Amino acid sequence: MSDTFDLDDESPAQQPRPARAPRGEAGRLVSFLRGIAEGRLDDRLDSTSFEDLALRAVAEQANAAAARAAADVKEARQRVELVTTGVDEAIEAMVRLVIEGDLSGTLRLGVRDAALTPLIAGVGQVMETLKKFVNEIREAALQLSTSSAEVLAAATQNESSTSAQASAIHETTATMEELKGASHQIAENAQMVASIAEQTLSGARTGEGAIKSFMSSMESVKRNAVEVDDAIAKLSKRVERIGTVVEVIDEIADRSDLLALNAALEGAKAGEAGRGFSIVAAEMRRLAENVMESTKEIKNLITEIREATHAAKEASDGNKRMAAEGEKLGGNAMQSVSGILSGIQETSDAARVIHLATQQQRTATEQVVQSMSEIEEVTRQAQAGSKQATGAASELTSLAERLANLVKRFKVA
Amino acid sequence: MSDEAAQLILFQVATSVFATAVRDVVRIGSVREIGADELVLDSALGRPYSRERGIVVTLDGAERTLVVDRVLGTRSVPAHAVQPLPAFAAACIRSGALAGLVLVDDVPMPLVDIPNLVRERVDRAAPPPP
Repeated sequence: MSDTFDLDDESPAQQPRPARAPRGEAGRLVSFLRGIAEGRLDDRLDSTSFEDLALRAVAEQANAAAARAAADVKEARQRVELVTTGVDEAIEAMVRLVIEGDLSGTLRLGVRDAALTPLIAGVGQVMETLKKFVNEIREAALQLSTSSAEVLAAATQNESSTSAQASAIHETTATMEELKGASHQIAENAQMVASIAEQTLSGARTGEGAIKSFMSSMESVKRNAVEVDDAIAKLSKRVERIGTVVEVIDEIADRSDLLALNAALEGAKAGEAGRGFSIVAAEMRRLAENVMESTKEIKNLITEIREATHAAKEASDGNKRMAAEGEKLGGNAMQSVSGILSGIQETSDAARVIHLATQQQRTATEQVVQSMSEIEEVTRQAQAGSKQATGAASELTSLAERLANLVKRFKVA
Repeated sequence: MSDEAAQLILFQVATSVFATAVRDVVRIGSVREIGADELVLDSALGRPYSRERGIVVTLDGAERTLVVDRVLGTRSVPAHAVQPLPAFAAACIRSGALAGLVLVDDVPMPLVDIPNLVRERVDRAAPPPP
């Protein structure tokens, strides 16, 4: 046969050779087979027309194969139509069940075919799976609805809290701004206090020096008063001594005056002879009277000196008392100034510490203000996000409700 | 009245100035040195203030001292400057202590008889005879 037929050989060694169409009965047979291959199963060969018996037998067998294939095709087509109908029914029934939402029943087909069994089983599994899904979706929708309601409540609460927090943070920020200004003012005031304390300390030290000078002056006044007292005592003694001497002189002058008077008396008694004697006596008397006048003046002066000395003594005693009192007052003042100095020193130190603390406070407050501004910005963003979350939660709740409503449409029990 | 000069002693009692004859005066003394029983403190001339000087006279052989404030000194005046009291005045006064008036530097002043003055004072102070 290989010598008769030039069939397509897929051998690679023969591929390049050009096909040579058979002719004659073989050609007819090939053409017939080609038609069968192309699906013309109803074509038949007239086997009786073949002279070659072998080819005739082939033609008969080819006809039988074609008939057999046509019958198989027909049977297959019928079966396909049957299965297609069953599938259509199954799909229609499934679609109808899905559309109606009733998943409680089972799939029953009018067509029975073994080939549909897996389909029916698959559809049943799909239905069961759908039931399961619907149940799960229902539960999930219920949970989602509950959760979304909770989320919405929480989001609403969160939004409210965030708003309150933002308001509080805003107020806190404003307060911190005021605190910042106050801290700045406090720092400046503390610096001013420290400066004033320094000046006061300097002034108090100057006052301490002045009090020391005053105490020294009081000491000098007291010493001078004692010296003046001694000088007055000496002067008083000398004045008393002068008074005594003047008394003696006065007594002598008085006696001289008396003597001159008697001399003049005797001269007058002597008449002309005693005239010269009387003149001398008169002169003596005049001198004595001059002396007495002088001693009188001296006595007056001594009296004045005594009064002045007494006044000076009283003044000196007053000076001593004043100096002692001044020393006492100066001591008290010194003690007070020492206390004041100590207090001012402590105040100055405290003011310096306060100044440093307020500077640190100002820096810290500025940092807090900066942080609060950042927190406020973040809170603002959180507030916006919270609003969005609330909106999303609200939308989610609506979706959950929609989902629940959708799922309610499916009857699974 | 002779032309002889009259020798007088001028003295002061309180604010008044008097004159007395030198011849009647024994001496001028200091009151502090004279015993109190010899002193004549109050007299018709008045009461002296300072009582520093005493004009010593003799009275019945005993010395008496008229206490005065000051003895101004001796003066010699013409005899005609000494005038006795008019008779009528002497009769009215009835005291022998005032001997007359004397012009000293044209100022009239009483001329006192101190011994009579002292006598009258002593007599008046003595107890009356039984």
